[in-house]
Amino acid sequence: MSAVCAALAADPVLASHYADFSAKTEAALDPALVALVRQAVAAVHGMGAAPDESGLDAGTRTVLAYARRMPFEHTAISDAEAAAVVAHLGEAGFVAFSVLAALADAECRAALVDLPRLAGV
Amino acid sequence: MSTIPRVSSAIAGEPPHFGSVLAHQPAIAESFFALYGRFWGSDVLSARIKEVARMRNARVTECGFCRNVRFDKALGQGLGEEVVDDITDGYETSAKLTDAEKAALKFTDALIHDPELLNGDARAALQRHLTPAQIAELGLGVTLFLALAKALITMGLEPEQMDRTVLPTPAVLEAAE
Repeated sequence: MSAVCAALAADPVLASHYADFSAKTEAALDPALVALVRQAVAAVHGMGAAPDESGLDAGTRTVLAYARRMPFEHTAISDAEAAAVVAHLGEAGFVAFSVLAALADAECRAALVDLPRLAGV
Repeated sequence: MSTIPRVSSAIAGEPPHFGSVLAHQPAIAESFFALYGRFWGSDVLSARIKEVARMRNARVTECGFCRNVRFDKALGQGLGEEVVDDITDGYETSAKLTDAEKAALKFTDALIHDPELLNGDARAALQRHLTPAQIAELGLGVTLFLALAKALITMGLEPEQMDRTVLPTPAVLEAAE
């Protein structure tokens, strides 16, 4: 469970809406890719090891390189980098991936400020 | 930062914007708008404080679209431009922002920029001015503001030019309930 969902324990309706949004975002992509993206973003924040990319195809490595830019370099991502991800995932996949990577980054940040504890959970 | 859309509109006849691009993923779009409407419709935390945090996120993440949008509910709660102008570096000394808003801004900065900013004094101020339920809602809001701003920017949906625009505050659609 994400730090955001955990913090919303006192408001089950809002927590349920947030969990649904996160789940729908993840469901639009391959589960293995979702896990890799979340792990890559978390590693940038110092929250665990980076994924082992040795067995991954070039397209997946391109996606992960892009995801790693989301936490601190989102304004520096180039049109060419985005085009490479679109070429691998397609437009609909790129939309889901963009939301997922940005959400993964924000959720890490919520955990780093210990949002659940601030919310009395 | 690109102002050239990196993905097409999924709605015939509409240019690429956040809604028309998110329409490539209808299930995500529907869930997001239900969540966002529920979040803004809740009065646990005032719309004014939510909007203060959203404005701060817009400035720090450099989201021009977010920076130029105003939600009417917060305007109705007295968040005029003279207050918004103070949501910049040095907001701690503002005479127009309340102490609760300054505490919420420090939390926002900590979440979107540097968790070390939420030191002992800042944490105590946050918990003095906001209840745990309000902090949870603020945390949800800042998470969404940050994620959406970054998604919007990286999909190339930043406007080249945009006037300040007052929009109806997102609300829960009756059909979604």
